[in-house]
Amino acid sequence: MSGPIGKRTPYIEAVQKVTGQAQFAEDFHFSNMLYVKFLRSPHTHAKIQNINLSKAKKLAGVCAISIGRDLPIPFGVLPISPDETAMAVNKVRYIGEIVAAVAAESEKIAHEACSLIEVDYEPIRDFLEPDDSLIDCSPDEQIHSHSKNGTNVHKVAELYFNDPKKAIQNSDISCTRTFKFAGVTHGFTEPHATVAQWNDDETLKVITATQVPHYLQKYLSKVLEIPLHKIRVIKPVVGGGFGGKSDPFPHEIITSYLSIKTHRPVKCVFTREEVFISNHGRHPTKMTLSVGADKQGKITGLDTDIVIDGGSYGSFGVVTSYYNGVLLQGPYRINEFGFTTTRTYTNKPQCGAMRGHGAVNPRYAMEVIIDELSHSLKMDPCDFREKNFLPANTLTVGQLRITSNGVLDCLKAVREKSAWDERYGNMPDGRGLGIACGFFISGSALPINWNRYPQTVVHTKLDFDGRVVIFSGASDIGQGSDTMLVQITAEELGITMDRVQVEVADTKLTPVDLGSYSSRVTFMVGNAAKSSSIKLRDELIKTISKEKNIKPESIQFENNRIFTEDKSLNMSWDEGVEICLAGRGSIVTMGYYISPQLGGKFKGSGAGLSPSYSFGAFISEVSVDKKTGAVKVEKVWGAHDCGKALNPLAVEGQIEGSIHMGLGQAISEELVYENGQFLNSNFIDYKIPSTLDTPDMDVTIIESDDKEGPYGAKEAGEGPIHPVLPAIGNAIFDAVRVRMYELPITPDKVLRAIKEKI
Amino acid sequence: MSVKSYLKPQSVTDALIMAKTHANYLYFAGGTDIQVYLKQQLIKPDHIIDLSDIGELQNIASNDENISIGSMTTLDAISKNNSIYKDFPLIVEAAQSIGTPVIRKTATVGGNILVNNRCNFYNQSFGWRQAIGSCLRDVGDLCQVTKTSGKCFSRNVSDLAAALFCLDAKVIISNQNEGLELSIVDLYNQDGIDFHKHLDHDGILTKIILPIDAGSTWFKKLRIRNTLDFSSLTIAAKVYDNRNFRIGLNGVSMSPVLITGNLDMIDLEGIKSLARKSCKTVDNDMMPLKYRREMIDVYLDQWWVSIQK
Repeated sequence: MSGPIGKRTPYIEAVQKVTGQAQFAEDFHFSNMLYVKFLRSPHTHAKIQNINLSKAKKLAGVCAISIGRDLPIPFGVLPISPDETAMAVNKVRYIGEIVAAVAAESEKIAHEACSLIEVDYEPIRDFLEPDDSLIDCSPDEQIHSHSKNGTNVHKVAELYFNDPKKAIQNSDISCTRTFKFAGVTHGFTEPHATVAQWNDDETLKVITATQVPHYLQKYLSKVLEIPLHKIRVIKPVVGGGFGGKSDPFPHEIITSYLSIKTHRPVKCVFTREEVFISNHGRHPTKMTLSVGADKQGKITGLDTDIVIDGGSYGSFGVVTSYYNGVLLQGPYRINEFGFTTTRTYTNKPQCGAMRGHGAVNPRYAMEVIIDELSHSLKMDPCDFREKNFLPANTLTVGQLRITSNGVLDCLKAVREKSAWDERYGNMPDGRGLGIACGFFISGSALPINWNRYPQTVVHTKLDFDGRVVIFSGASDIGQGSDTMLVQITAEELGITMDRVQVEVADTKLTPVDLGSYSSRVTFMVGNAAKSSSIKLRDELIKTISKEKNIKPESIQFENNRIFTEDKSLNMSWDEGVEICLAGRGSIVTMGYYISPQLGGKFKGSGAGLSPSYSFGAFISEVSVDKKTGAVKVEKVWGAHDCGKALNPLAVEGQIEGSIHMGLGQAISEELVYENGQFLNSNFIDYKIPSTLDTPDMDVTIIESDDKEGPYGAKEAGEGPIHPVLPAIGNAIFDAVRVRMYELPITPDKVLRAIKEKI
Repeated sequence: MSVKSYLKPQSVTDALIMAKTHANYLYFAGGTDIQVYLKQQLIKPDHIIDLSDIGELQNIASNDENISIGSMTTLDAISKNNSIYKDFPLIVEAAQSIGTPVIRKTATVGGNILVNNRCNFYNQSFGWRQAIGSCLRDVGDLCQVTKTSGKCFSRNVSDLAAALFCLDAKVIISNQNEGLELSIVDLYNQDGIDFHKHLDHDGILTKIILPIDAGSTWFKKLRIRNTLDFSSLTIAAKVYDNRNFRIGLNGVSMSPVLITGNLDMIDLEGIKSLARKSCKTVDNDMMPLKYRREMIDVYLDQWWVSIQK
């Protein structure tokens, strides 16, 4: 490849971001704009008996107030789980749930008006722990009336292939452990922010920090009862998402509603505490995992029972429930396999999708147990893993189709770079190495809302100025998808990147893309962009070959020139554009992506299906202070198979970011609940690792060249997080011979484990 | 937050006049911590008196006997002062353990010495506190930590105070009367609500005076992260003339705790026992109570090992 593909390429918006010019949702100001503040519930679970707005309405500067019954239509990102309303209707289900919203001339007035709203509540029994939610209760006490069997269970997801229990029972060795994982949240830098503008032509424009403009458009239409074609959602520059902006949110709907009601632009910006309350982070999880193996170190079966604490609403919870189980089918061959995941409702802020969705906690459990089995067999943990890896081009027991697979190369890379063979088990007391592997989807093969459309469409426009503009609904949230689009287009057209520009994530201007979630953008949008660019190139070739009487197949594009090998044709890009557009003006080509038909015929077979999977292997080195229990992660070697690194700089960034985020969940981050509300909803007490806590990183990119990915590419944004946590847990064992079954691995827990061992 | 006026006096005298003429005022030093209190509606002053323009509060002066540090000197500035670095490396270590490099550019010595006591159940937003219902320091008559109504155990988290305790520092306070000089130890109350003393009559902490004398010092701070976090336990210690020692502990009680003695008169276990008895530690920090208590012993062990060398 002669263009930018495969070259380390800074993000096209990088300068804008670092110089403060980039426009985030909060940066949009309109004349005559109003500001929204919310009155939130002080109760975990209570009936709303009465709301008195009279005092608030009288406050000067208050323009509109809305409450739950104004927007009663339920929604939820998954059409199978529409259990949420924009504001509480009839009852509240967690502390912090929005009860009323005020639009006023200033934030201060809106805030004051909220304090003047009087609400009478009748508290109901609350359910704060998943174990309580599993037990029968009266219909009046249920968090949602649709929970089955009089409990507060949201979803039971289970799949069993063959007879894993029996296989484990009959195994030469087995290991069963119970793990506990605290809830964690995304910690993105930019808080939620939305600006809505109802126009004179009765169209709605919503500028919002979102990963899913298309889904938001859909649910705005549903709840506000406005036709889709009258709604325009724009995603401006977004300051991080990690899954935390991948739902349609109540504040987006309410802000839009208040703009419609007042006929004025309305802005909403969350405080950091509100971001925490909104949560949608990784579910607190308790799981018991059993894995069996034979004497040769072959895994014979896996069986797990998982309870995840979903909080008050569904969000992506049904998917999370399945992902907890199905994504244990790799990277190892396991033919006797089964799981049951129970997602409970509790009276707490809702959980949802977060980087590595659904699979991070089970991955920790699996990799720790593999480590234990290896030790039981006196086998090197790397060797054990090698024996069990899935090959390329195979099906798992649940019919996930594995195509390219570079996991063995990943393992070999980190094993060599960390000098594992010389150092593992031979380090001084208090110092240790740990290995873990992982895999993840490159986009969900099935859309959330079943339909006959492609999963993404890209338009590429060429005009007289020689500029190529890509129109795509893809949402760049910091992962570099805009840059990826430009790279691909520049590569295919043989032009420099400065000639390519993007118009993205605007549901009026850009064709549909489903959003930035499930690590789908590079694979799906990349393929669509490539297809669209090739069509444009073909159009250029067709017209130029005709005019110059040259064989189409001899025409090449490189470095802003169009030429043949023998130089019988040798023109600039602009000259070629003029020929191509003569007599017809600008042209637009279109590319799209539709996943191949995948999966089995059983219920739940769609979960975890992806056109391709990434793989990885990570090794951590830790030191443990045996007197204090403090763990310092000294270094992490990470190798990730992303198929082909379209932009190695971005892939390295994703791997490094995954190490940092995984480190946080492993050793310090935890959402601490106190009577249903977070005790630490701020960045002082929620312990995201600082630069001083972040280890040295050694990143290796493995390119397995996926046959269906654009230029062979697969995902790199989520997969790398999975092995980070267990690599740390396993390194702690190597350092001080204690197994950590509860995350985060804080010093008090390590010290307790050390003392219990003695 | 509804502040009626934001005042910037140019001298201590001006500041005291402003204080006298503006009811319900708040002295504002670097503001890195107090701004959060304002945002969370934990304090609601009508007037803010910002001390940052007062040059006389930003001086560092030294002679053969002592160093005096103006209370508005930033933590960054004292970390970079050669005299302090040479004679009081303990102060530099303590200052550099506070906040982050960016915060230390703004946060001041006086602000840290007089930092408000903290508690997980108090340092929360208005809405959060409303939901929890009661806090002795806020509203209601029940402490959420101890589930009793007797006493507030919010904890002092000044890292500098622990260091200054063991350096036997003096502080100068200007007020509407004659002002006063006192030992830093006398600045604190063992009370989670009324945690500072001698600041009445509009008192302004103006200077910290450190006597220059020999001795070996030791410092350690317990926290989850290596930056930013408030202390879960800070221990600063000094051994000087004829094996005398002074140990300042903080983060584990309503005020900094001072333990003094002579190493020939008391052993490690005796010191640990004194520390345990002196610290009224309750479960009001993100780190578990049992662990923080354990770490008092572990840190004192480590200090003990260090002085054996």
